[in-house]
Amino acid sequence: MNDFIHHIPDGIYLYQEGDLDGLDIQSVGRYLTEKTRIPFHIQGNICEGLPEERIEAVAEQLAKTKVKDPGRRFVLGIPLQAEIDYEKRRIRSPNWRIFGILYEGVLYQKIISDLIFEGERDLNRCFILFTNQLFGTWDQNDKRYHARVSLYGFPHLISISGLVEAPAKPKEFYLKKQMGLSVELLKEEYQGQFLDHGDLRMTEVLKGYAMQPLFFHFTGDPFCEDRDCRLFNSHWQEEVLHSQIGGQYEFCPRHEAILKELLKGGTK
Amino acid sequence: MAEKKTIFTPVSEKEVTRAIVDSFARQFIEYVESDCLIIGGGPSGLMVGRDIASKGVKTLIVERNNYIGGGFWIGGYLMNKVTVREPGQEILEELGIPYKKATKGLYVADGPHACSKLIAAACDAGVKFANMTIFDDVVLKEGNQVCGAVVNWTPVRALPREITCVDPIALESKFVVDSTGHDACVVRKLEERGILKTQGFGAMWVEQSEDLVVEHTGEAHPGLIVTGMAVATTYGLPRMGPTFGAMLLSGRRGAQVILEKMKKK
Repeated sequence: MNDFIHHIPDGIYLYQEGDLDGLDIQSVGRYLTEKTRIPFHIQGNICEGLPEERIEAVAEQLAKTKVKDPGRRFVLGIPLQAEIDYEKRRIRSPNWRIFGILYEGVLYQKIISDLIFEGERDLNRCFILFTNQLFGTWDQNDKRYHARVSLYGFPHLISISGLVEAPAKPKEFYLKKQMGLSVELLKEEYQGQFLDHGDLRMTEVLKGYAMQPLFFHFTGDPFCEDRDCRLFNSHWQEEVLHSQIGGQYEFCPRHEAILKELLKGGTK
Repeated sequence: MAEKKTIFTPVSEKEVTRAIVDSFARQFIEYVESDCLIIGGGPSGLMVGRDIASKGVKTLIVERNNYIGGGFWIGGYLMNKVTVREPGQEILEELGIPYKKATKGLYVADGPHACSKLIAAACDAGVKFANMTIFDDVVLKEGNQVCGAVVNWTPVRALPREITCVDPIALESKFVVDSTGHDACVVRKLEERGILKTQGFGAMWVEQSEDLVVEHTGEAHPGLIVTGMAVATTYGLPRMGPTFGAMLLSGRRGAQVILEKMKKK
């Protein structure tokens, strides 16, 4: 455990990619600043204003990062033209709503990093991209890819689709789905027990998830083991809802103390 | 005693045979060359056929089974109710298929009614069929452009190896559509020849992968349009549950691509 604040970013830069389905990014920014006193800046769509020749190159890179078989280690492939064309249409449409492809998270992060930094990485600022696309990372333990909600680094990525799809819904939901029950009907039956696209609780939940990258900067560890703390690394939807909006407190005493220290003007 | 009248006009067996052979042969000769050859008579193939034939495009659907309609007769778990997500019900409406709202954005129809109406719509539009006919290979011309298919009788595949030396025949067309479902037979044949590389299925990460199938529908290789579940196989898109909206909309998108390309030609 290391409670020493070793890095305070100069600013928080919030980017978005695709239609964020009702996420109030301003509200998230205000929350981050309120908690940390670090100013936030809304940067808009990550691909906005990208020149045509760059779109071509980025589209090809994105098409290459698709995870084809989650049960196997990723291999860079040669994408088909229709896959590149799909990515081009996605880049050109700031409010793109379609998702479902699983991208290789680390490579995806590298593509976004190149778009933001265009050269040397800026390690003094905190860059967060909110995306509606899905990404995953390889799990060495069970030797397969898993969809993730967030990925930390330069920049940090937070996936709204990942938040809906990655943490598991109640077990009964999957059992009934396997028996052939319609997903729509199951969503009605289990309404409120998990986050769905366009969920009114999404902004509130993502405020906590957006704090995790900041703690990555402060202490090197974005997570907390306390399931009542907003930094808890949830694996179930029930845990997501509990830690983000149903816990005893926003942050556990340990992380609350770090934030207090920060507001007093903590060490850099 | 008065002679007993029969209900049907007496016709000899040989005349029946002649009528079948003559009618089949005439149509077959006419469709040895077509504008569009659709491999697979499931919902997406039927939809492509219906939309292009209604615009005057000479269309032949090749189907390996005796029956047309693929999986559109039944939904999940062999239950004969088919579901479509919004806006798939607009096509049901257009084809005169009765449906009910199941829940917000989801509609349900009787499989037999939906499938038979779609088949009828394709027939009414002018689509012709070669059923019990199996795709064997692609016809390629200069630059590896797909310009037809090699086909054979389906039962030939079921015969013992010693007597399966029945040579296939070739059909030519301006476009070939791969609507063979998960198998993506035409795309796979190009893959065997090292011309195209399919990606296989992705995992079923999300319930809503229908959008991706429609978005990726189009020309996968010069002369080859891919629709329906074959799109998922070709591009490694997530598997889908038993909802048919994407099959119908993918078929419609495939038809649009063909019509646009024909305009340019």
